[in-house]
Amino acid sequence: MLKYVFRRILQMIPVFLGVTLILFALRIPGLLPGDPVQLIVGERELTPALRAQIEEEHHLNESVPVQYGYYISGILQGDLGRSLQKNRTVTDILLDKFPNTARLAVSAILVEIIIGLLAGIISAVKQYSFWDVVVTLSTSILVSVPVFWLGMLLQMFFGIKIKQWTGGAFSLPMSGMGSPPDLVHLILPSITLASVSTAYVARIMRSQMLEAMGQDYIRTAMAKGLSERVVVFKHALKNALIPVVTFIGIDLGALMGGAILTESVFSWPGVGREIYLAVMQRDWPVVMGGVVVVVLIVMFVNLLVDISYAVLDPRIRYGGTTE
Amino acid sequence: MSERFRKGLALVLALALAATMLAAGGCTTKTDEEPGEEPAVDEKVGGTFNFYISEPAFIDPINLQESEGTQVGQSVFDSLVTFDPLTSEVKPAAAESWESNDDATVWTFYLVQGAKFHNGREVTAQDFKYAWERICTPANKSEIAYHLGVVKGYDEMQAETATELEGVKVVDDYTLEVTLNYAFADFEYVVGHPALAPVPAEAVDADPAAFADMPIGNGPFKMAEPWAHDQYIKVVKFDDYYGEEPYIDGVDFKILSDQDAAFLEFQAGNVDFVPIPSGQIQATVDEYGESPDGYTVNPGEQVSLGEELAIYYLLVNNEDETLKDPAVRNAMSLAIDRQDICDKVFEGTRVPATGIVPPGIVGHTPDAFKSSKYDVEAAKAALAEAGYPDGAGFPKISLEYNSGSGHEDILQLVQEDLKAIGIESELVGSEWAQYLDKLGAKDYQVGRLGWIADYPIMDNFLYPLFKTGSTDNYAFYSNADVDAKLDEARMIVDDDERVAQYQEIEKIVGDASAVIPMFYYRHTRVASDRVNEGIYSPNGLFTFESVWLTK
Repeated sequence: MLKYVFRRILQMIPVFLGVTLILFALRIPGLLPGDPVQLIVGERELTPALRAQIEEEHHLNESVPVQYGYYISGILQGDLGRSLQKNRTVTDILLDKFPNTARLAVSAILVEIIIGLLAGIISAVKQYSFWDVVVTLSTSILVSVPVFWLGMLLQMFFGIKIKQWTGGAFSLPMSGMGSPPDLVHLILPSITLASVSTAYVARIMRSQMLEAMGQDYIRTAMAKGLSERVVVFKHALKNALIPVVTFIGIDLGALMGGAILTESVFSWPGVGREIYLAVMQRDWPVVMGGVVVVVLIVMFVNLLVDISYAVLDPRIRYGGTTE
Repeated sequence: MSERFRKGLALVLALALAATMLAAGGCTTKTDEEPGEEPAVDEKVGGTFNFYISEPAFIDPINLQESEGTQVGQSVFDSLVTFDPLTSEVKPAAAESWESNDDATVWTFYLVQGAKFHNGREVTAQDFKYAWERICTPANKSEIAYHLGVVKGYDEMQAETATELEGVKVVDDYTLEVTLNYAFADFEYVVGHPALAPVPAEAVDADPAAFADMPIGNGPFKMAEPWAHDQYIKVVKFDDYYGEEPYIDGVDFKILSDQDAAFLEFQAGNVDFVPIPSGQIQATVDEYGESPDGYTVNPGEQVSLGEELAIYYLLVNNEDETLKDPAVRNAMSLAIDRQDICDKVFEGTRVPATGIVPPGIVGHTPDAFKSSKYDVEAAKAALAEAGYPDGAGFPKISLEYNSGSGHEDILQLVQEDLKAIGIESELVGSEWAQYLDKLGAKDYQVGRLGWIADYPIMDNFLYPLFKTGSTDNYAFYSNADVDAKLDEARMIVDDDERVAQYQEIEKIVGDASAVIPMFYYRHTRVASDRVNEGIYSPNGLFTFESVWLTK
């Protein structure tokens, strides 16, 4: 097991380097529009001396491979550079934003687990019932609805319409996150962020449950006279859960990396929105730093998922030599 | 917990919820006010203004330049002078009076005595000197140091051969004397720039990073807590403010993702002043009513559509073989249907320009550029006069623009208008930096640019754009007479005479169509119905000093 974990960590290094290399390649002069020196200078008059000084400071006068070397050594020291637009370091900005993204991600995952699992179990156990139809239909709709559209719809309804109907007595906040722990501000963004995944969780849960329920051992358990509740929750559910847990784990990794659409619609000050704004302003140190951090987080969460998978499912043998 | 008890608890909770909802509903019921009746002062006092901004770059004066940061900065800081939000006239602020010598090269400002910083310390002339030198120190990387370029000693500081501004002298605690490199009668406007406010050295030196997030100023509002990046900035009334006390208790600057998000929050009643998203301007005007003067907002007159201190214009390369003839440039200017472009491209959010100096600036003259109007017959006549009847023999010209910002739509319509008088042209788009390079290298025939006032003065539109050798004179217009008059104007201390001189200069460059003015920008903002006597000035800053809120 330890060997497996060690090997997985080693594998992460080339992936990480590959990602940073692709990102860095975008800096090759002429590949993307926008002169970085002009961006740094802003409204100041750009004299040749000032240009030389800035190129020196940012190592822009070096060849791209050398610049890459500087960048990687910076990352290893926790230095992701400085924003071109804001008066702050990228590390500062991201440290600021990451807890917010994590908060949103965790609450979205909770929504996924609670609603998704319940809906999936109900529709599987009561197959072809009214509730099954409701679940299959609504999940089909949810997976095909664009997230930002759903978000804006919720904003219009819970932020504006309900407020008007109740004369200002009741409404849900539409943007920002309040001062933590402000759970009310979490409601709309986490529902929006969780929507598609919740639908997937419900559908996977349903199909896995149905498959499990059709197995011989379930029939045996039924034949032994066990109550339906025991059969469903003790025998079927346990086995049906494994793919669902995997899905939720990977999804957590993705959500931790920031949800660009949801965070933007709800003005949620997270990593995703920060990257989006930085792209719009061509603030490439923030874009690069943000993506690098997101990649690290996704890789780390995936690692945890893989490890837990190996622990959960004894049939899975990694490395092939432990037979 | 028994079943019965749980049900009972749910009932109690439901009742409690209903009661709070009713109570909250009761609070928000509007008080009916007799229209036209001026409420008593104490009715005006109180309330927090919710103002939408996007994330500012800086709120510390050292780099105050874009609109969002400036909006916050000007509520926390007072410069030497301020501008009337409607007429742009200079008014006293941190300086109660000032004077210049006869040729406007030495200026003396007399500060208000007893004015305090938010940390309780008195504001003195030394604080201005410190603040200005802080901006001019290259190591501090201020992007706005050029505002002080006229001050003696600026060049030495930029070259790092001096650490002090030689021209700024602290005569005593309340007297600041500024010596300039050359005569500049409009210098009083320069010192009104929000970036040139005093800062307390002790706070900056103690922790510059903390100061950047929670600056300590001398203005009517003070920071309530440090800037919550990407979330909000809160300012509250400063009790020891030397000037007139504002009505409102404070301002919550809400930092939202974009204008659509802001407009939603406005519709929900959570934000009091927001930009109107494109496509919704007419509907918003219908629903909330338009401000009569375009800037002052009151209940029922909530939409501000006044002109801004900015102009969009076409550059014509005055050194180009074909285009150096003023008659050709006049013909082109007359051929363009600006109103048509405003309607088709901008949904009425721009107005046709009739001169280079926009309305809202003292000395603005309607129809200052005689050819800045749509008259196809006159255009054809001018073209014939230049030797190209119906465009015969006129070479094909290039219309250049920086791509990706919607300029192509505008220039396509210009292209059609020019074709109507017989001038063939092609569109050439390039990326911004490359585009600027082309302009600077005179490697273009017709281009486009926008110009926004740094200070609300005519000089700011005429000197940089038309002086021979000025870096912003991308049209390469050069007229010795205009050059002399521009220098002369800066030395005229009498305000009326100086403005008259600038008006004459504008007419000279206008008659030659040195550039082709296209549109003035317009505001597109809406206030909530609780905002009274709010002024959104032509230079795009909301005035928190005079506004009051309906409770």
